[in-house]
Amino acid sequence: MRTFILIAFRNILRNKYRSAITISAIAFGLFALIFLKGFIDGADYQMINNYTDLLIGHIQIHAKGFQKSIGLEKTIAGANNLIEKISKNRKIIAHSKRIKDFALISSPENSYGVLLLGIDPEEEKKVSSFHKRIRKGFYLNPQDKNKIIIGKDLAENLKVALEDKVVIMSQAADGSLATAAFEVCGIIDTGAEEIDKNLAVITLSDAQELLTLEDKVSEIVLKISSLKEVDKLTLTLRGQLDTNLFEVLNWKDISPMTYQWLKFDQIFTSLILFIFLIVVASGILNTILMAVLERTREFGIMLALGTKKNQIMFMVAAESFILALTAALIGSIAAILTVNYFGQRGIDLSKFSKALDSFYIGSVIYTRLEWGGFFISLIVVFLTSIVTSLLPAYKAANLKPIEAIRHI
Amino acid sequence: MALIQIKNLTKIYSEKNSTVQTKALDSINLEIERGEFTAIAGPSGSGKTTLLNIIGALDYPTSGQIIIDNYNLSSMTQKAFAEFRLHKIGFVFQSYNLINTLTALENAEYVMLLQAINKRERRLKAEKILSEVGLANKLSHFPNQLSSGEQQRVAIARAIAPMPLIILADEPTANLDSQTGAMLINLMKELNEKKQVTFILATHDPMVMAKAKRLINLKDGRIIS
Repeated sequence: MRTFILIAFRNILRNKYRSAITISAIAFGLFALIFLKGFIDGADYQMINNYTDLLIGHIQIHAKGFQKSIGLEKTIAGANNLIEKISKNRKIIAHSKRIKDFALISSPENSYGVLLLGIDPEEEKKVSSFHKRIRKGFYLNPQDKNKIIIGKDLAENLKVALEDKVVIMSQAADGSLATAAFEVCGIIDTGAEEIDKNLAVITLSDAQELLTLEDKVSEIVLKISSLKEVDKLTLTLRGQLDTNLFEVLNWKDISPMTYQWLKFDQIFTSLILFIFLIVVASGILNTILMAVLERTREFGIMLALGTKKNQIMFMVAAESFILALTAALIGSIAAILTVNYFGQRGIDLSKFSKALDSFYIGSVIYTRLEWGGFFISLIVVFLTSIVTSLLPAYKAANLKPIEAIRHI
Repeated sequence: MALIQIKNLTKIYSEKNSTVQTKALDSINLEIERGEFTAIAGPSGSGKTTLLNIIGALDYPTSGQIIIDNYNLSSMTQKAFAEFRLHKIGFVFQSYNLINTLTALENAEYVMLLQAINKRERRLKAEKILSEVGLANKLSHFPNQLSSGEQQRVAIARAIAPMPLIILADEPTANLDSQTGAMLINLMKELNEKKQVTFILATHDPMVMAKAKRLINLKDGRIIS
C-alpha cells in the first residue's frame, strides 16, 4: 500500500495546478461553511443575549399566575429573603427586583397606556443593558425622586422632551387612585418598537410608594453565567421554591415566539448549510472525476499489469484523502482566524441596522465559533470529499484495461 | 506440450446499437513453444493486436480455445485474468506506458510489488535488469526525464524483471528511430536467449521480422504463413 500512497502523493504534486484548484475548492467550501455558521451563530447568540439583556433577563421569578395576568394582585413579599435563598447557586451572577404594572401616562398634549417598570437602578445595571440604551438625558439614580425614563417613540407621541413633566396614573394596590407627576430625565432608544413606544421606567422606591406596595415586588430577574444553563437552572429553582406560590420562568417560557423563531432559524440555517454542502460536494466530485478521467490510460496500464481493483480504488481514495486533509487544515485554520477576527471586530451591517435592531440582533454582528458546529462542518466536508471520490475511484477500478489503454 | 495452444480462435467485434460485426480473428490455430522469439506480422487491421490481447488475457475470444501453461483462458473470470496477467505475462506497449509518477527503478519494480515480492529482492532484480538494459545511471529518473528509447528500455525491464512466462510486445519499435529500435530488439533477443522467456512481438517493422526466430503472417484475421 505504501507504493500506492506514494503514487497518490506524487500525482498530487505532478498536477500542482489541478491539485491547487481541488484543495482551494474544498478549503473554501469548508471555510465558507464554518464562517457562515459562525455568522449565524453569532447573530443568534446576539439576538438571545440582546433580547434577554434588554429587559427580560434569563430567568424571572413571580408570584404564581403573574405572567398570565400582570397586575398588583400578585406580588412577592420578602423578596430579599427569597433572593438570599436562591443566590447560593453560583450560576446566578446577578439579580434585580422590579415592579411591573400597566399605567396611563399623560402629557399636556396626549395620554397613552404604558408598561410601568419600577427598578432598582444599581441592581438593574447588572441584569440588563437597559441603562446603555439611554440616548438623551441620564439613567436613574437610586436617590432620584419622581424622575422617569421613557421610550423615544413614546416621547414623540406625548410631545415631551427632557425635563418636561408627565403624569402617571394607575390603580394602587390598596385600590386607591395612584397618580404622580414625574420629570423626564432620560429617553431610551432600543430599536425595538414595542419597548420604545410603550415603556416608562421609574425607581423601585417611587413605584412602591406610588402603588402602595411597601417592600413588595412584582418580579425578581436573574442573570446567569451561561445561556446554556438556563433550562437546568429553571428546573433547579422550581425544585427549590414552592411552586404553589411562585412561578419560575426562563426567557423561552416568557417569549415562546422568539424561541420558536430561533428554532425555525436554526432549521432554516441547517437547510441552507446542507444545500451549500451539496454545492461543495459537487465541486469536489467534479474536480476528482476530472482528475481520474485524465488518467484513464494510466489506470488501464496499471490494470493490464495486474493491479487489483481495490488497489486502484485505494490509490484514488488516498489521493482524495491527502487533498481533503490538506484542504481541511487550510480551510479550518483560515475559518478559525477569520471567525475570531470578526468575533473581536464585528461585521458592521449598520445599513440594515433598523431591521436588525428590531430583531434584537444589533447592527454589528460578532461571529462566534461554536466548536461543536466547527467539528461537524470539518468532519462533514472531509467525509464528503472522501465519499465523493469513491465514485471516480470505482469508475477507475472498473475500467476495461484494453479500452483504457487506447484512451488518449 | 506447447506453452501456448490456440484452437479455432475467433474474435468478432460488434458495435454497440448496431448490427455491424467485424471479424478480427478467424479460426486461428497456433502453437508456440516455451522460449520462442516469435514475430506476428501483417498489415493494419490484420488482427495482430487482437491476437496479442487475447494471449495476454486482456480480451476474451468469441469462440475457440486458448490454453497457456495449462490455463484455459476462454473460461476464466476477470479476476482470474488479472491474476494470470500479473504472474504469467509481461507487456511492452507501443507507447511505453510507464507510470509517470514512478522513477525508472520503481517502474521496473512495480509488477514485482504487485506480486508481493519483498522489497530487497525486487529492488535487486530491478537494479540488475535496468543495468542489463543500460540504464544503471538513470534509476531515479522519471519517465519524462528519459528519451523514447530509454523509456522503452524501462518498459522492457518492467516486463522482464518478474520473469514472466511470456512477454508480449505490441509494435515495440514503432515510436523509435531505426538504430534505437534495432538495439532494443537485440536486447530482447539477448534476454530471450539468456533467460529463456518466450517473446511474442506484433510488428510492421521488417527489421523485427528479420530478427525473429519464427514469423507468423496474419491477413484479415487469418494466418497466411
